[in-house]
Amino acid sequence: MRDAFSKALVELAVADPKLLLLTGDHGYALFDEFRKRCPDQYINAGIAEQNMAGMAAGLARVSFRPFVYGLAAFVPIRTIEQIKLDIAHDDLPVVLIGDGAGFVYSHLGTSHQSTEDIACTRAIPGIKVLSPADRHEMAACLDYAYATQGPVYLRIGKSNCGDVHSVPIDTLQTGRLIKLRDGRSDRPGLIATGSMVRAATDIAQPRELTVWSAPFIKPLSVDDVRTAARSCSSLVTLEEHSVLNGLGAAVTEITSEHSPTQVLRIGVPDRFSEYCGTYDYLLFEHGIDIETVARRIDDFITAA
Amino acid sequence: MTMRTAPKASKSSNRQFNPTHLRRMVLEMAYAGSTVHIACAFSIIELVSVLYRNHLNYPGNNPSAEGRDYLVLSKGHGVMAQYACMYEMGWLNDSHIQGYFADGSELKGLSDSRVPGLEVTSGSLGHGFSVGVGIAKGLQLKSNDQKVYAITGDGELNEGTIWEGALFAAHHQMDNLMLIVDKNNFQAMGTTDDVLGMGDLSAKFRSFGFETLEVDGHDEAAIDLAIHQLWDTSVGKPKALIAHTVKGKGVPFMEADNRWHYTRLDAQTFADAINSLYPKGDCY
Repeated sequence: MRDAFSKALVELAVADPKLLLLTGDHGYALFDEFRKRCPDQYINAGIAEQNMAGMAAGLARVSFRPFVYGLAAFVPIRTIEQIKLDIAHDDLPVVLIGDGAGFVYSHLGTSHQSTEDIACTRAIPGIKVLSPADRHEMAACLDYAYATQGPVYLRIGKSNCGDVHSVPIDTLQTGRLIKLRDGRSDRPGLIATGSMVRAATDIAQPRELTVWSAPFIKPLSVDDVRTAARSCSSLVTLEEHSVLNGLGAAVTEITSEHSPTQVLRIGVPDRFSEYCGTYDYLLFEHGIDIETVARRIDDFITAA
Repeated sequence: MTMRTAPKASKSSNRQFNPTHLRRMVLEMAYAGSTVHIACAFSIIELVSVLYRNHLNYPGNNPSAEGRDYLVLSKGHGVMAQYACMYEMGWLNDSHIQGYFADGSELKGLSDSRVPGLEVTSGSLGHGFSVGVGIAKGLQLKSNDQKVYAITGDGELNEGTIWEGALFAAHHQMDNLMLIVDKNNFQAMGTTDDVLGMGDLSAKFRSFGFETLEVDGHDEAAIDLAIHQLWDTSVGKPKALIAHTVKGKGVPFMEADNRWHYTRLDAQTFADAINSLYPKGDCY
């Protein structure tokens, strides 16, 4: 997925000399090809993320297309006021890329983990929030972000979960869910985003559940969520993000108004990581490892 | 400290962007809208007057012209001074002045970039300068001769982003960028020395790689000369003009009295303030 990101970004930059990549001294090795092919479009702004985000607004004001890269713990979290005031307030076409979202940096502790980035960005007016699940969604999200004439937050979580799409995606439709498999209408349907989509499909297969991927957290198609709610007995949302104000919130905001449905929100509980360990261990600590999630879904089916 | 002074240029007697008239307009706005931040606007009156009259280039008198120079008011609290200049540019009309703060009016109490002529949304401090550095970087990449001026307060220099931006501007040799510090020695809760002393600003910016000058921020000719001198020096270095100003300048009972950061005018103080602008009774 990161290769797809790097490759797609280079292609966009080669085609458009106004595309600038700003990084807060992050992205070791990730941007080698970019620096080689587009050295004049690469700006390492130093370990100064807030100034970097403000500068991106200035660059966009004079017709450049800034892509601002950082770890999600810093872009968007450390720069959230610059995103609100300098970028989103004026609907500037700045693409914010938060890498390593969720528990990717599982051994490094809270400073490098990010489970509140969707919550913070989606409340800012006008910004689109994207969360690709695999390399195909990544390539499509990057193209979509580039084509968007306004601010975009592109969340990159755990990147080697495996493909969920068998072929490339031509064009992302704004806000739309992507159905990955059909399942039984008398059972819950799963709506998952980012790193949790692959887990959702793996869980769904033996249980004959419908699965949708949500590359868009915002906007999120009301029609698609309503259709999903009506085609299943209930819904389960899955995300490697806080259960507060992420995908689960976005889905339930729609269902509660348009199609009252029971929704089980699976995500990171309202707490910080207590311990460190492997990525899989951190998922386990927060109860979003595949075994725990499968058990919760089984209980949900049984209780229905 | 290098204080630059020079004989009054003949242009300073031109009524256009006349500081007294600009201050009067600020008072009229502040009274109409019952607003605060009068003293914040008064300390930068001569700075914006000189910039609009002698330096800022707006092709076709269009505040959004692509080839314009950029005035970034990072200390958004002084925005009424900029509104007064924008009125003189013909971008605002009497209803903007008399209807300031009326329900549904577009001019806010802090700089808002959605208003043509204002380049940044500020008031949350330390933002405008970074945006200005980004604009200057973009213009540098385009290799054109447009200039960027960023006005910050001295209290605003508490913000870390100022110094992040200063590092970047110097590292990238952005000689199309001029930071103008409105050094009025006050911030919201007291003097800058009492709250968070900034030390020798010229020395700080010089050490960051800026070309610096200090100037009497109420001496129009000296400001004009200093701006010219800064642009003429040191290719490859950003510029910093430390303007020594008086918060509330122009109305004696407001000068260096920080209550006028917050105080609203009533009928009496409005009349007294207007009268104090015309000590010889020569009403404008």
